[in-house]
Order: sequence, then structure tokens, then C-alpha cells
Amino acid sequence: MRFSQVLSKITKEGIGELTKKQANLPESYVRRTLQSVEWRNPRGYPQYMPKQIVKKKTYYNVEKPWTAQFQQNNAPNVRHRKVFVEPVLNWSFFVGDRVEILTGPDKGKQGTICEVIEERNWVLVEGLNLKLKSMGKTKNYPGSVIGVEQPLLINHEVSLVDPADLQSTQIEWRYTEEGEKVRVSTRTGRIIPVPIGAEATHDYKTKGTYVENKEKDTTDKDLTEITFKPTLSTFEMDVMKAEGIVETRTPSKTYWY
Amino acid sequence: MIIKFSRILGVVRNQLSGIRPSVRGYAVETLAGSLPSAERKTSSGVSATTTKPTKDLGPAKGLLAFFDSKDNWEVNEVRVGRSWRKDELRIKSNSDLHKLWYVLLKERNMLLTMLDEFNANVESFPSPERIDKVHESMVNLEEVVRERNKAYYLLETGETGERPGQLALNLLGMQFFFKTAEHVVPPKHNNHWFKTRRLGCDRREVAQFRLYHNEKIWLEKLRARRKLTRHVMKLYQKFPNIDEEALQAEFPEVNLEKVKRFKGAQGHYLFKSG
Repeated sequence: MRFSQVLSKITKEGIGELTKKQANLPESYVRRTLQSVEWRNPRGYPQYMPKQIVKKKTYYNVEKPWTAQFQQNNAPNVRHRKVFVEPVLNWSFFVGDRVEILTGPDKGKQGTICEVIEERNWVLVEGLNLKLKSMGKTKNYPGSVIGVEQPLLINHEVSLVDPADLQSTQIEWRYTEEGEKVRVSTRTGRIIPVPIGAEATHDYKTKGTYVENKEKDTTDKDLTEITFKPTLSTFEMDVMKAEGIVETRTPSKTYWY
Repeated sequence: MIIKFSRILGVVRNQLSGIRPSVRGYAVETLAGSLPSAERKTSSGVSATTTKPTKDLGPAKGLLAFFDSKDNWEVNEVRVGRSWRKDELRIKSNSDLHKLWYVLLKERNMLLTMLDEFNANVESFPSPERIDKVHESMVNLEEVVRERNKAYYLLETGETGERPGQLALNLLGMQFFFKTAEHVVPPKHNNHWFKTRRLGCDRREVAQFRLYHNEKIWLEKLRARRKLTRHVMKLYQKFPNIDEEALQAEFPEVNLEKVKRFKGAQGHYLFKSG
């Protein structure tokens, strides 16, 4: 195993699956924009080795990776303390879930998850676990106080609520008879459905309500139409036949080495 | 934002007067004009328009096809769908793929031109991920075409028809992979190629270097393994009730039974009694 691979594993580099889903961006774009190059030798000169210093460790916070604040947190000169994140086998907290808070001033209260930060095992619960912050304070104006949701660890600071009796419960992932993977409350055995809010991305709330770009997008009818008919020819032969190009020359013998 | 056309239009300003609405029609007419007189006579004997019917290829934009539509110039975001997947491309005929390739190519040209233009004006390009989406579609399309060709060649000749690769030793006796090239001259007559490549290793001095090099690689691996172990140790210290199944799944090469007995894995906390 290469050293760089190990490093990436330790820092849990790479964006979480849920964040990727929410951003709805292609993989290569995410990879391209997440890495910040600190130094790159000029290319095309014999005296420089093709070397570059890339900042591999990414610091994740409540800010989403496509925000300006995230870029500031991960600027080349900024260093952070190492963050330890407990590995989780199956992620079971989604946006829109009803949860109970187990610690802090709001202990025992229930609320809905408004944001999930998978990279740090965090969730934000709407209107709960707030930290008060005064905004716009000047000499003449005392400022207005707003509450900012503070993150809660999923492993021991929140738990899901059973819809049968509205009590907090431990859950398990099981399969239904149709082969569907569902969350089941271990206490009552009732299925806790994944809320519809979990499907929302930057581009649409649900897949069905996505508004097509008339100018650029391919319509569903064109996409699903089957036009392929198998023939004994290569792609080039088929296209030449369709375009009426006839090749009469025979290639001479060549050698591959 | 004002896009400066002068940079592009300056080059071809004199030719612009010749551009007609239909690109194909333009090409046919100029071709007919340049043909020798004998052939022109035969074509003009019938009619100038009926000799080769020009296909209508939609709204011709000329050089403006290199630019996005004007509605997308001053917006913060252009919302478009995802890229083409392989499964969706596999059900399309070869001619459809051929057409789609050029649609994607034109889109990519347009996006890169726009990106360049926005950069030149120090503006932020809206939705740069479109470039990646188009690129991904093109890579998938090429892959599907290669799949089809491979199937044909394997059936007909028993070979894949792909460009062959080869493993060889360099001067330091280290293995490397290279893609072979097509030559007209057979290898035994192409001394120049083999002299310039300098493949193979017959030096005794290299042995010492290889020894040190292998040691370096081995030490690097050792260091990496130790680093992983230390990380798992710290995880045990911070999270005493850690899910061991998940931990083992994430770090399969670490011996958990051994690591959790380390002194560093114990933690500075007291369990609550009762």
C-alpha cells in the first residue's frame, strides 16, 4: 500500500457519500476542486522536476465543501488539529428524521434533522442545541441575537425516534421480504421509513420534480429509445457503411514494439 | 459582462461576408465553384440546387456556436442534467453514438471557449462542472465503442484489437510498462529504436542501488503501518465504546486485539459506577 493512500485513509479524506449526493456534482469535479495545490514547479523546463505540493488533508466543518468559508478553512497556509472520526458501518441519520437529543441543555427534546455532516459524524437539529450569537452590533445599535444550531455526534448525542410510540430507540438495518433494506426499531420492530427530504439535492427536491433544461437536456423519451441493432462489424465499419465510404486500399504489414 | 468578439473575429473578419445561413450549403457551393469546368457543366445542366440536396442542420450560428446562448452569460448558475451513463449509451446505434460524439464535442468546445472568455474578463464562469459532465460522457461513449470493437475482433481474430502494452526493464533494472507503437520496420532491422530506448539492465553496480531502493520502499511501508496502528490506538482512547466491526472494516490490516491493550489506548477517564 502506498504511503499517500494510507494518509488519505487516516484523515478520511474524500467527501462523504451523502454530501456527494446532495451536491449532485460529477466525481472528477469534486476531486479537482477539493485538492489545493500549494506549490507546482514550472513545467516544460529541463531544470525542474515535475513536482508539486498538494495539501491532502481536508478539514471538514459544518460548512459545505462548495462554500467560500470551506475554501478559507482549507487555504494552503491554514493548519488544523487532527480530527478523529469514529468509523460507522451503516449511516442511519438523514435530513428530515425525527430525533431525540441525549445530552446538553436540550436533553430529552425531539426535533427534525436539518443538516447532515457525514465527514464528522455530525447532525444539526432544527431549532435545538442552539448557541446564541449577536449580529450587527454597533455603537448605537445593541445588535440582534440569533441562535445557531450546534452539531451533535450521531454515536451518543442523538437517537432516532420510533414513530409507533414517539420514544427514542436503537435501530437495526434489516431486509423486507421484497429485498428492500429498511431501518427497524429494535424495541417495537416497527419500520422507520427514510424521509423524502433525504432525496433532495442542490438541483431538485425530489427526482420527479426536476425541471429539465429545455435547451441542453436530453428528454427521457430520447434517452430510453433502443436503436442498437447488433451486426457483425466494428463501429468504424458501420459508420463508413452509413456514410457511403468505401475503403479499397489494403494496409501493409506493420510491427508493434 | 461584455464578451469581446474582436479577438476571434479579427482573424476572419474578411471571410465573414461569405458565410451563409446553412453551413452545409456553404460548403457545397464553394466546392461547386472550385470544381473543373467540365464537371460544373454536367451539374449545371440539370439545376444548381437539385444536384445535391442540402440538409437542414437546424439553426446555423456560424462562429457563435463557440459561445453559449446569450441568456447564460450573466447568470450565476446554469442548471443542467447529469452525464450519459454507459448503460444508456449501450442501447444506442453506432450512427447515434457518432452523432452524439459531435454534439458533445461542440458542447465542450463551447464551454472551454466560454471559460477562457470569462477568465480573460476576470469573471467567474457559471457552473464549471458542466465541463466535467461532458468529459465524463465522452469517456463513457469511447468506452462503449471500444467494447463493441473488442467484441468484433475477439470473435473474428481472437485478439482484442487494442493497442498492445509491454513490460520491460529500464537501465536501473526496474520494471515499467509502456504502450507499444506501430512501426513499418521490423524490430531486428530497427537498431536505432533499441539504442535510443536503452531497455534492459546488465550492470552489476545496479544491484547495490536496487538493494537500497527496496529497503526504502520497505521502510516506507513499515512507517505507514505504524502510523495506522497509532491512529487506531488513538481512536480506542477517544471512543471507549467504539464499534469494532466498523473499525476492522475500515482498517483490515490492523490487529485490534493487540492494539487495544496498548497503554496509549486506555484513556484518561473514569467509568461512572452504578
